[in-house]
Amino acid sequence: MSETSLAIINARLVDPASGHDGPGGVLIEDGVIVQTGGEIDVDAADAVIDAKGCILAPALIDLRCAKEAALTPDGETLDTLTAGAAAGGFGTIVLAPNARAPLDKADGFAGMNRGLAKRGVNVLSACGATQGLAGEQMAEIGLMVRGGAVYAGQGDRPISDTRTMRRLLAYTSQFDIWLSVRPADWALSAGTVALESDWSARMGLPAEPALSERIAIERDAALAELSGGKLMIDRLSTADGLAALRRARTRDQEIAATVAVAHLTLNEVDAGGLDSAFRMDPPLRSEADRRALVEAVTSGEIDAVVTDHRPTPFDDKGEPFALAIAGTMSLETALGAMLGLVHDGQLELVDALRVMTCGPADLLGLPQGRITDGAPADLILIDGDKPWVCDPDRFHSARGNCAWAGRRFQGQVLQTLVGGVTIYNQKA
Amino acid sequence: MTRAAFSYDFPHRHLISVADLNPVDIRIIFERAAHWLAVNRTPDKSSDVLKGLTVLNLFFEASTRTQGSFEMAGKRLGADVVNFAVAHSSASKGESLSDTARTLAAMRPDIMVVRHSATGAPRFLAERTGLAVVNAGDGMHEHPTQALLDSFTLAQHWGEVGGKRILIVGDILHSRVARSNIGLLNILGAEIRLCAPPTLLPSDVDQWGCDVFHDLDDALQDCDAVMALRQQKERMSGGFVPSAREFFHLFGLTHERLEVCSPDVLVMHPGPMNRGTEIHTKLADDPEKSVILEQVESGVAVRMAVLELIGETIRRDFHSREAGQ
Repeated sequence: MSETSLAIINARLVDPASGHDGPGGVLIEDGVIVQTGGEIDVDAADAVIDAKGCILAPALIDLRCAKEAALTPDGETLDTLTAGAAAGGFGTIVLAPNARAPLDKADGFAGMNRGLAKRGVNVLSACGATQGLAGEQMAEIGLMVRGGAVYAGQGDRPISDTRTMRRLLAYTSQFDIWLSVRPADWALSAGTVALESDWSARMGLPAEPALSERIAIERDAALAELSGGKLMIDRLSTADGLAALRRARTRDQEIAATVAVAHLTLNEVDAGGLDSAFRMDPPLRSEADRRALVEAVTSGEIDAVVTDHRPTPFDDKGEPFALAIAGTMSLETALGAMLGLVHDGQLELVDALRVMTCGPADLLGLPQGRITDGAPADLILIDGDKPWVCDPDRFHSARGNCAWAGRRFQGQVLQTLVGGVTIYNQKA
Repeated sequence: MTRAAFSYDFPHRHLISVADLNPVDIRIIFERAAHWLAVNRTPDKSSDVLKGLTVLNLFFEASTRTQGSFEMAGKRLGADVVNFAVAHSSASKGESLSDTARTLAAMRPDIMVVRHSATGAPRFLAERTGLAVVNAGDGMHEHPTQALLDSFTLAQHWGEVGGKRILIVGDILHSRVARSNIGLLNILGAEIRLCAPPTLLPSDVDQWGCDVFHDLDDALQDCDAVMALRQQKERMSGGFVPSAREFFHLFGLTHERLEVCSPDVLVMHPGPMNRGTEIHTKLADDPEKSVILEQVESGVAVRMAVLELIGETIRRDFHSREAGQ
């Protein structure tokens, strides 16, 4: 179904880019927003959606998700990934490198990227910064940027060698792309599975001090200043790290910071029962850390919230906490989890949406993520109050590792449009 | 203008840095080099201007072309030329540079041509021995005769190097050729552009009086000459640059990319070339654009000019000391 023009009216229009939150609608022609506001000319439209009682917002953008290799039995394929993304309200997702798919080979990169494009959801790809993400030799970043890579990343692997980090920041600066690196001091964090805390000490878990993140941010910010590189803090997770970021930004440095949904909505107490579903990289932090990060979303210090969606085989999560593979699925639950913070009064809706729409769009220079004349009609309709329970069996993916399994959420995506075309409709 | 019109004698006993030269010195060198270039094209190449003087080629780093070029230059001028391949002798036995230098100086050579992996070694030797020293490359610091022969080659085509736009592309961070060329071209009033990935540029490069680019196509706009530097293979495997092929795609010179240059653009390379890394093999062999072999020919002539002029200074100093006694 593709109308040439579509009007959405009577909605509560929330556009974080302009700060607008009020009654309104949009008129879409040929996949592009041509009119916004309260006076949409419905006679000009071939079709009209009356969105009374619904929130109309830009479709969400995720800078960090993962699928599995195409032929993995029961794996997360591109089809299931994009179906889950659409159901979760995402119009654009970025495949980020990880240990299983390091995205570090320039051969075929451009072809792979073209293959990603035609999926309803815009699927973009980042590239691995170092060969095998080992943090030693640079990958062919330049050739992969030519092939469409939108930033260079390192997965969960920090770069231990300071000189390598310096050179990577310098090398990537010539392409004006972000170098996205998990802030962790390698020696302090290698082999750990939890935050150094009273709980992890009692449990006897190998644990990293929160300081590890701060040390890495201070080092990398100094190197970015020296080299002129664009540093993206990949999944800030501690109050200590946030303080280090603030100090670096007082020097007028352009540093981006992302936070994973998990670190905004869960803490180490959730992992208290040693349920492997809560084994994360970075590990879940203290409640004080979580609250500091939520406040940093409100203050605009966090550029983007990422799902860090990571489907894993059942066997990998079937190990005890300390041995289980890290990560949780998150695309279909991210909005519900963020709306939970809104309903709790911890976050305003417009702030929650900003870090999932225009925030990430601005980092990559995308035209999406905003409701304005001329922008692509990538939009979502949300029922902000509808209660539901997270049931991984109902995910579009065959995988089900999810830290939010069984959680009660309030607020759900009703419809997702990309380029004016409906790619998900809850009623359908 | 002839030399007499300057009423100025080439004053240098050493050639250690291009920064020691002024525009008149350079003009004198080029004038003599043009003379020797013509002589070298005749069957009667031998001269006796350095007869009686001994030139010692002291190469602490392996070199074939530079050492060969200096040796040929010295021999054509009638000097006694002695090659000391130090890499294989005393240095490997643990002798200090200072002791090696004093030992060799005791043999009473007149000019030492020095290549060493350490910045400052030629000046150190000049100070320790009192001999005339020509720097044939010290570490990542300077290679003045290479810069002189590069500019001389360009001057042969253009008359003047001043006012022309010249691009140096490649590993500038580790290149003594680039440093000497930048210094010399600045003295000559050329417009210098540098193009390299940020990992192969010094961090203070914006202080060097050059326009710095990371995009080759931008850098090549309206250039009159392009100089590719040699890329060392060990720096093309992920430390500074991910791979040789990525380097070629981003910074390699090809006919297509040169289309934005001046139509008469000249392509240079100090050698030895890595075809397919810094320069496309067809461009390297294009006689319309490539002056790479002319650079080699100019090299002998320029080194003859430098040795001749330093020889004159040595003789002049000797006679004035004699007269003063």
